[in-house]
Amino acid sequence: MLEVYQVLAGPFVGTPNREQVLNIAQDEAVQQHITELESQNQMLRELISYQSDQSPEGKMAPVIGRSADQWWQQIIIQRGSNQGIQVNNLVASTGGLIGRVSHVTPNTSRVLLISDPASQIGAMVNRSRTMGYLRGQSESRAVLVFFDRFPDVRPGDVVSTSPLSQIMPAGFPIGRVESINNNTSPSPEAIIELSAPVSSLEWVVVYPNSKGQNAEILQESASPSEEDSTDTPSETLSSPSNSTDQN
Amino acid sequence: MAVIRVEHLDPKLRRWIDWGVTVGSVMLCLLILPLRIPGVELLGVAPNWLLIWVVCWSMKRTMWQGAIAGLCLGLIQDGLTYASPTHALSLTIAGALTARLQKQKYIQEDFISAAMITFGMAVILETIVAMQFSVQFLMEQSPKTYIFLSETWVYHQQIALSSAILSSLWTPVVYFPLNLWWERMRTLEDLQP
Repeated sequence: MLEVYQVLAGPFVGTPNREQVLNIAQDEAVQQHITELESQNQMLRELISYQSDQSPEGKMAPVIGRSADQWWQQIIIQRGSNQGIQVNNLVASTGGLIGRVSHVTPNTSRVLLISDPASQIGAMVNRSRTMGYLRGQSESRAVLVFFDRFPDVRPGDVVSTSPLSQIMPAGFPIGRVESINNNTSPSPEAIIELSAPVSSLEWVVVYPNSKGQNAEILQESASPSEEDSTDTPSETLSSPSNSTDQN
Repeated sequence: MAVIRVEHLDPKLRRWIDWGVTVGSVMLCLLILPLRIPGVELLGVAPNWLLIWVVCWSMKRTMWQGAIAGLCLGLIQDGLTYASPTHALSLTIAGALTARLQKQKYIQEDFISAAMITFGMAVILETIVAMQFSVQFLMEQSPKTYIFLSETWVYHQQIALSSAILSSLWTPVVYFPLNLWWERMRTLEDLQP
């Protein structure tokens, strides 16, 4: 009886799909490769935070709100000028830089996130020191526009703030290169996956910005004649800051 | 517990309470604006509570009343976010248009029509903002900062759709109590000699 069953059932029993098995093996190899890259990045990040640890102490601040409209990517934190927060202070979270303070009230501050399209900061690929500027794109992604025509960059590279930046101190981790688009003109762009969980922030750390004063001057005198210094014109906030608001 | 009936109150006091309810509802809308309540968000976009309020206000009022309400709320929102481009323009237009719609002729007066109007107004509102961004981009002399033109419109599609869906779905929450209150006040006003 079992023999008859075996003959009848034969056509319905699938042989293991060769392609499927190969795909699974390939997936696993990729997974392992990713883990390796991640540990490598972790080491790099530790190295970076080792450097940035030497900068002055940051202030912890809870996140109490998000942008009050759809177009701006910003957060509201519960520390203000009473606690010594100033415009252009840097804001970081676990994982890296997330933005900078744009408005301050006595007990709250508004932070323009680096994921906002209006936020543009100088950035650098850590491995090859390739420079570019970072423009926000969506909640957890940003675009790194390179200055070189043929930048040395690979998916998985770690990106941090550029030492040439006039408004940001160097070496703050930002994120990792997700993909590279060589077809854009005039220079290639890379999509950066931000390492800080921008969409689910609860606590952030605010650091004083030693280059903050530069930004003020920069904003006032930003003119086309300054374009020779690499990332100057792109590094300003669109709205005139310092204005206090009623809420 | 003694229940105070609005009908029995002094008309002057009642008018003050009416204003208090109106202003209080605006305050409430403003305060939930920066909140991201879990489940209320879509693609990082929250409902536009101010637009909902303006639509509710303008539905049974004149064009000027709608426009002025839009202007005021727009200026307050400017203070909460960034003032360039201003939110006042789009909200003013939304308020005036809602009042102009002449719903009583075409659409039945209920919260479903309010939701539908909010949907349309949200799309119009975000389109106006996107146009403001584009004009700002084109007028800018030195390319300081801007959202790039192409990106503005990609952004616009995403924002307009999610904002329209969310805002229209949440409209009844604001419309139903406010409309009930205003209706009641209106009937009481009419009863006055």
